[in-house]
Amino acid sequence: MSVPSIAIESDTRRQHYECIPPAGRVPGNKAIWVGIFSEMTEFALMFVVYFLAKAHNPELFNEGPTRLNTFAGTLNTLILLSSSFFVARAMIAIRQNRRQVCAHWLWLAIMAGCAYLMVKYWEFQWNGAQGIHVKTDLFTGVYYYMTFNHFLHVGWGSFAVLWVLMRLKSGAYTADKHEGLESVAVYWHMIDLAWIVIFPLLYVFR
Amino acid sequence: MISLSHTKKIDVLWVLLMLITLVNALIAETAEPGLVITLLIATAIGIKGRVVVDHFMELKNAHPLIRISMQVYFYVIPGMMVLVYLFPETIARWTQL
Repeated sequence: MSVPSIAIESDTRRQHYECIPPAGRVPGNKAIWVGIFSEMTEFALMFVVYFLAKAHNPELFNEGPTRLNTFAGTLNTLILLSSSFFVARAMIAIRQNRRQVCAHWLWLAIMAGCAYLMVKYWEFQWNGAQGIHVKTDLFTGVYYYMTFNHFLHVGWGSFAVLWVLMRLKSGAYTADKHEGLESVAVYWHMIDLAWIVIFPLLYVFR
Repeated sequence: MISLSHTKKIDVLWVLLMLITLVNALIAETAEPGLVITLLIATAIGIKGRVVVDHFMELKNAHPLIRISMQVYFYVIPGMMVLVYLFPETIARWTQL
């Protein structure tokens, strides 16, 4: 056996053992990427609106984050990043054909999604008690537009993860065939990515 | 150089993301606004975005069109953030209706 073929075989074995997806592929399916790029564009437009509103109203947007509940924002960031981690581990588990382990990680991701929604609901209630409403000023308007939109994404994203969990339980996914599961996984990560930008813009950047 | 397995790398990166978030929260609560703080926040967005895109989403070796599009997002948004901090009047003037 020649040296290069040993190297290729060893690389393939490593990929299989460590469950690294092959290079150059499209994770999930093409349709989900149309959805992801549409959603990322939608969020990008919201970020542009935020930047322009901040440039035109610097004092209001410098003071805005100090009125918000940083604890709730931080807690939700930790929850969403963890949910992304759970989904990443679920993908590793399914590629190892460990369906029970994959299901456990997906349950954790769903619980994280529900926790996020509960914290955000509590935060909206807290805002109301502080007199922070949609029409209070331009900053709170942008805050509610971005965060409520994201809230809806987490809501239906959690249902999507629940759906693939049910499909997993019914035996629809295996180590070699799990395109639907992977599509929902990348969509869920996209929801996390949007929050990675929203949190510092609204709660930290002054 | 330590070579981590894919699973271990995911675990370590999760801890890193948690730590960056907590530092961000500390900045939000204590630091006075300034260019250095803005650069720190922008860098944190870039690092967190790249970690999720490259490793959690597993796009590091994916089709270049998808990988590059997603990675560019996390250079453009932090870049816009710094520009808005540095040149708010100019941006406001250029976008006056």
